[in-house]
Amino acid sequence: MPQNETIQDLGLDQYKYDFITEGKPVYRAQKGLSEEVVRQISAHKEEPEWMLEFRLKALEIYNSKPMPKWGGDLDGLEQVLDEIYFYVRPQDRMQHSWDDVPEEIKDTFEKLGIPEAERRVLAGVGAQYESEMVYHSLREEWENQGVIFDSIEDGLKKHPDLFREYFGTIIPTADNKFSAMNSAVWSGGSFVYIPKGVSLDTPLQAYFRVNQERMGQFERTLIIVDEGAQAHYIEGCTAPVYSTESFHSGVIEIIVKKNARFRYTTIQNWSNNMYNLVTQRAIVEAGGHMEWLDGNLGSKLTMKYPSCYLMGEGAHGEILSIAYSGDGQHQDTGGKVVHAAPYTTSSIVSKSISKGHGRSTYRGLLKVHEGAHHARSNVECDALLINDTSRTDTYPYIEIEESDANVGHEASVSKIGEEQLFYLTSRGIPEDEAMAMIVRGFIEPIAKELPLEYAVELNRLIELEMEGSVG
Amino acid sequence: MTTTEMNEIGLMEGVTEALNAGAVERISIGEPEWLRERRAHAWDVYERTPMPTTRLEEWRYTDLSKKLDLSALRLSEAEASPDNPDAWPAQLRATMKEDHGASGHIVIIDGHVVHADLNDDLAAQGVILMSLHEAVQSHGGLLQEHLATRAVPAEEGKFAALNAALWADGIFLYVPKGVRLDLPVRVTRWLSESGAAYFSRVLIVAEPNSQVSYVDEVVSDDFDAQTLTSTAVEVVARAGAQVQYVAVQRLGRGAFYQSEQRTLADRDATLDTLNVALGASVSRVDLNARLLGPGANSDMLGLYFGDGDQHFDFNTSQDHTEPNTGSDLLYKGALDGESRAVFRGIIRVLPGAQRTDAYQTNRNLLLSPGARADSLPNLEIEADDVKCSHGATVGELDADAKFYLMSRGLSRVQAERLVVTGFLGEVLSRLPLGGVVEKVNRVIEQKLLNHS
Repeated sequence: MPQNETIQDLGLDQYKYDFITEGKPVYRAQKGLSEEVVRQISAHKEEPEWMLEFRLKALEIYNSKPMPKWGGDLDGLEQVLDEIYFYVRPQDRMQHSWDDVPEEIKDTFEKLGIPEAERRVLAGVGAQYESEMVYHSLREEWENQGVIFDSIEDGLKKHPDLFREYFGTIIPTADNKFSAMNSAVWSGGSFVYIPKGVSLDTPLQAYFRVNQERMGQFERTLIIVDEGAQAHYIEGCTAPVYSTESFHSGVIEIIVKKNARFRYTTIQNWSNNMYNLVTQRAIVEAGGHMEWLDGNLGSKLTMKYPSCYLMGEGAHGEILSIAYSGDGQHQDTGGKVVHAAPYTTSSIVSKSISKGHGRSTYRGLLKVHEGAHHARSNVECDALLINDTSRTDTYPYIEIEESDANVGHEASVSKIGEEQLFYLTSRGIPEDEAMAMIVRGFIEPIAKELPLEYAVELNRLIELEMEGSVG
Repeated sequence: MTTTEMNEIGLMEGVTEALNAGAVERISIGEPEWLRERRAHAWDVYERTPMPTTRLEEWRYTDLSKKLDLSALRLSEAEASPDNPDAWPAQLRATMKEDHGASGHIVIIDGHVVHADLNDDLAAQGVILMSLHEAVQSHGGLLQEHLATRAVPAEEGKFAALNAALWADGIFLYVPKGVRLDLPVRVTRWLSESGAAYFSRVLIVAEPNSQVSYVDEVVSDDFDAQTLTSTAVEVVARAGAQVQYVAVQRLGRGAFYQSEQRTLADRDATLDTLNVALGASVSRVDLNARLLGPGANSDMLGLYFGDGDQHFDFNTSQDHTEPNTGSDLLYKGALDGESRAVFRGIIRVLPGAQRTDAYQTNRNLLLSPGARADSLPNLEIEADDVKCSHGATVGELDADAKFYLMSRGLSRVQAERLVVTGFLGEVLSRLPLGGVVEKVNRVIEQKLLNHS
């Protein structure tokens, strides 16, 4: 089909975050991962002894675990890891006033389209540049109510007890090879605490930017949503396109306490040479409500399965996942829900679009433990294939140990229907516009949940991708 | 290297006092050279292949180190029974009696083919139905072409290799071009040797535009020691042929049933399968349907009902390698007691297999708190003009349906029975074969009686 050739030409090469900011970091650890690097990171952060020990133990675990054999192609990763910098410090200390952020870093975030006006509608903003949070601010009204929104380093310094109670308990170091790696070299990320009953009516937002070549970013986020509290956290990620590969491996730990509600939104738009291996997990107590909204548009390979552990009666977990894979991209994403208490409910909705030589994989686990009676769950995966060279896979795991449970899984794969196209074009709509409309309709259930600026961004991307794709 | 050292690296795993190179040689005595070589090669593969562990995706939920003790097994030593129904076990005769008409019969008792008959007209038209042993002598060419070559060669895995090396007997069914069998071919097997290992093969070759339906039923009493029955099934449907393969497993407790099935459908062929698993302690079926020519189609049906501590494991794959092929899988099961079912299925659509229609559905009904079901319906799609979907559900008995029936005056037990048979009945209604439906329904009803 001729349209396939045109559509292939488009690719994601119009990646708009491809710019490099000049500027010297104040400190950069040596290349690769070693005990020395781990000690240097800990020393730079002036950490207590227990954290250094925690990191060194994690390094040991990391070294003892083999590379995963499943998921994406990790064959070239070991070589990449030898060449990257695990720790790059862009400025001396974190700023709380935007004016004090160094000019070149400020410039970067302005270019990313995070203008002052947008920042004002948020409850709090954090920005990470290379290995450190360079900026963190929280509106006074929330600060007065006891909300904590800080860099993870400041969380450890200023709230040592709260930090130590939860850090590393939701995702143990030994959970997987990359959670162990993160535990050894973590730097940056947010520490969030929402006190009992406080509900934030606007989101907290964090931006992650990798600017340097051969850089590894290892943010670590810990979020505690206390009883009856409500909040929404958004993260966005970008990086310039280099000829060498970069690496990002975050660990996000969340605890949603009794009757609390929390939503975590990710819009990942890393450049196409980024390995993105992230572990995200939330523990949900009785009556709690956790939502993951996971958008994966960028990176070379993403392996990421946000999970909800429903530990208390009536807890609810939701995962909405959208993936786009263009040439050279593999999105191996999905979600995991573990029902460990009665009357728990969950839903996973995953939509993927594969184009050119892109590959999208849904991988998920749905587990109902014995005793989690009256558990209800539904999983839906839909994949759209644009070209005959695109690929999609679905690997759901369903493990049910409780007879009084109802779970379902449905998945479908399709291409853009000729009939749908014909219908729209017969109504006078040009073909490429019709195609974009169909794709937009396909992802609509998820796009409508996105914050406005991201929804606009996603729609714009799809329009760009479909332009001239038919005909 | 010592045996222990070799075991550590996976070599020589599963080589026991009974299962070893010497046994392969003894079985080979008197066989043609090509077959002796094939067995020796298969044994070589077996020795080199490590025993599957739960670290392999395909064996994730069936731990062989706990479920199977190869070292305790001996090869079956039973003498062949005479070809005389009066000398056969009563259960075997009862089972056969329930069958409706047939084009031909094969009876296998303790691994020996003791009886074979075929309608005279069909025999005159060139249909072949006989023991594999006999076919090795009389139809060497056909066997050399098909036996353990394309469909289930030794390289397919540990069990495929073991079977290819040690098979004692089996069935050969050949249907010439254009010949159609109105009535099914019926095979009935009886096993009685506790602690034995049985290895058999089935080879079905349906030439272009032929039609045949084949029903293979295995029955036994309970065993007091673990008893292994391993079967390799190779079904080839040439262009335009229509083949139905049905396996009904009604073994007693103590049995470990292992069946490796491959179906190869050429252009415009229809190759449907039905696996019914009701008995045995452990039942493992590996079914791979290959759609090799445009227009080929496979319906794949499965039905299981577990109780006690039964363990069922179905590992299926639907391989679409050519355009315009179809496959539709439906596996449904009910689980009572502490029983457990694993369904792992995959649809693979290879590049270029455009206009594939492939579906896969697995539904489980959990009847007791101790029952467990794991379902892994996978898709790997590398062509864009396809219609593929899969679905899996695990749930309890439909309370509304039960309530409806009870409000109409049915007892709880009657209502439950009706809901369960209705649930499972969908599978049989898609491949209704006289005899099979009644027998299966009766076993299900018996199991449901134990439930209440």
